[in-house]
Amino acid sequence: MTDDDDFLTDAFRRQLGGLVTPEAIRAIERGSDATELWRSLDESGFADAMLPESAGGAGLGLAQAFPLILAAGEYCVPAPFAETMVARAMLGEQGVAPPSGAAILLAPASAVLPGAGLASHALVDRDGVPTLVAIQVSGDDLFRLRCATAIEQGEVLGLLAPDADRLMLSAAAVTSALMAGAMGRVLEMSLRHAGERQQFGRSLGKFQAIQQQLAVLAEQVLSAQVAARNAFVGTTFELARVAAAKCRANEAASHVCNIAHAIHGAIGATEEFDLQLYTRRLKLCQLAFGSESYWGARLGHARIASGLDLTSDFLRLRLGAEMN
Amino acid sequence: MPLTLENFPPAVMPPHAEALRAEVKAFIREKLAGVPTHIRARTWAGFDADFSKAMAARGWIGVTIPRDYGGAGLDAFARFVLVEELLAAGAPVAAHWIGDRQSAPLLLHYGTEEQRRSILPRICNGELFFCIGMSEPNSGSDLASVRTRADRAPGGGWTLKGQKIWTTYAHKSHYMIALVRTSGTSEDRQNGLSQFLIDLSLPGVTVRPIMIGTGDTDFNDVFFEDVHLSEDALVGIEGNGWKQVNAELAFERSGPERIYSSLVLLDLWARLLGDATDAESAARLGRIVARLAPLREMSVAMTALLAKGGSPITEAALFKDMGTEVEQQIPAEIADAVAARPDLAADPELLRTLAYLMQLNHVFSLRGGTREILRGMIARGLGLR
Repeated sequence: MTDDDDFLTDAFRRQLGGLVTPEAIRAIERGSDATELWRSLDESGFADAMLPESAGGAGLGLAQAFPLILAAGEYCVPAPFAETMVARAMLGEQGVAPPSGAAILLAPASAVLPGAGLASHALVDRDGVPTLVAIQVSGDDLFRLRCATAIEQGEVLGLLAPDADRLMLSAAAVTSALMAGAMGRVLEMSLRHAGERQQFGRSLGKFQAIQQQLAVLAEQVLSAQVAARNAFVGTTFELARVAAAKCRANEAASHVCNIAHAIHGAIGATEEFDLQLYTRRLKLCQLAFGSESYWGARLGHARIASGLDLTSDFLRLRLGAEMN
Repeated sequence: MPLTLENFPPAVMPPHAEALRAEVKAFIREKLAGVPTHIRARTWAGFDADFSKAMAARGWIGVTIPRDYGGAGLDAFARFVLVEELLAAGAPVAAHWIGDRQSAPLLLHYGTEEQRRSILPRICNGELFFCIGMSEPNSGSDLASVRTRADRAPGGGWTLKGQKIWTTYAHKSHYMIALVRTSGTSEDRQNGLSQFLIDLSLPGVTVRPIMIGTGDTDFNDVFFEDVHLSEDALVGIEGNGWKQVNAELAFERSGPERIYSSLVLLDLWARLLGDATDAESAARLGRIVARLAPLREMSVAMTALLAKGGSPITEAALFKDMGTEVEQQIPAEIADAVAARPDLAADPELLRTLAYLMQLNHVFSLRGGTREILRGMIARGLGLR
């Protein structure tokens, strides 16, 4: 990361801080019109950040885009912002121009599609061809988060080069980074609550049992964040990196949600508390774009197929912070 | 936030360190040819003085020690590459392990010029092996409660009395660096502790191996009965022992040895699974690999921080707690996978390796600080205590 990248991320965070308040998130969850929020986000230009400068973007590579997606996760953005940023880059790279202002979902086969109810378009898989279509939701909003179990595909607006896996890898990578950001915020909220809440005459955070739980929470968050960051190395999303990231994000999310809610007590699950905004999203994301078993199996097969004698070589060559 | 992704900045292994890798791999291939996996599984608990001497002949003990003191004058990244390859292959590094990882850097940093001149070259050439005297009977995880004392001797120097326990390979080591009390009492906790360089051949030193349930005798009791230490046995500053020990622990907890202890088992199992493996076994393998991947990155990141003179104490605690967890999970997962098919004959070497690690993996979390202590340190890093 250079200073310029930090500057960009800081600017994005400031923008999110103003736009994506917990009240705004709740209103949209309850079904309010999200057009205004999306327009503001889109006009800020961040969703074009991965397009080349010649196309009005900032030419961000994966590693530079990662902090923006992490921030979107931290702020619980109720819009397919990160998905659109990545989709626009995929489309732009192949000369396909999406409709102006389109909020684009990455929609490979998945039990559930987060944010489907907030998207106008989607990249879907049609026999191995990522295809840009207009969409309408048709399935259930299982989590009351404007997600959907199915979408109705409308007009075809563009085709990408055939690639049976790219859409799935992109969706899982983006989701891992969003989850990593959300989990970071959950840790922050849990630490704050443990510092404020008094029980038996002292703050929760003074109890050794709670300290040990918070230590495990921090471990899980950091591990998931490092794994997600490593999915954003190089020029394209690669199987091993993405598999490790989504596998880790899904595993970590279970620990993180359980511990955070244990520390918050029942109040953490109430509508008025922000914690549930994050943990319900994490659960939704666990169900989307492949579970830990799905990605674990793909990573395990990749480990064996690598033909490498040593797992340490596999970690270094296929999963490290640098490209080999 | 006190602990974020910024605590583990992405670190790239510099080319000079990577350049070492092929040579190390070739050395290991030659030296470990024919060594079965269940022997390799001992890794940094495997003691082989000849192997250590061969390493020294290559200049691979004390690689981070300056050339003036007999080292290779390389940096922490070079040591990372070297150690990563040795551990991944299950090389028997125990003889020189402590001297290389802890004692030599400690003496370089805190030792007198005389100590450096007399000791460091002999660590680097594989002549002297070291052990660490920290734990004591009844002290357990409460290291600051140590009671072994060094008092000023009337004619100069020190008189050492007390006992250390769980001292790995003390019976095969030449020197111990011990944390002992030089003033006050146990009530004074971290104050009044000092580190000493103890020649284990001195009169009054008795080393008695402790046999554990597996029949292994890596650990020892070490007794000190009025051992006379010369003036220059003190390492660093009198009373500064606690601080010196903690600086050492960041090195002790941040290395790849905290994630690779069960790796030869994992690799043998992966090889036996082969291309036609079922989704369930592949998922088991993949989930372990996914947990290891960010840990290796953290270890590289901490190497970079240590190389810059940082002391990532909280980070190392977090890494080690998670690392030993995976090291413990690997034998457990493979045991489950193997015994899920009682109808199939398991590979005998896989079973031997598995049995060795299954009998020890539950104690992997104790060495170098227990999970509970580490989690307490993380909590401190999070601002909770």
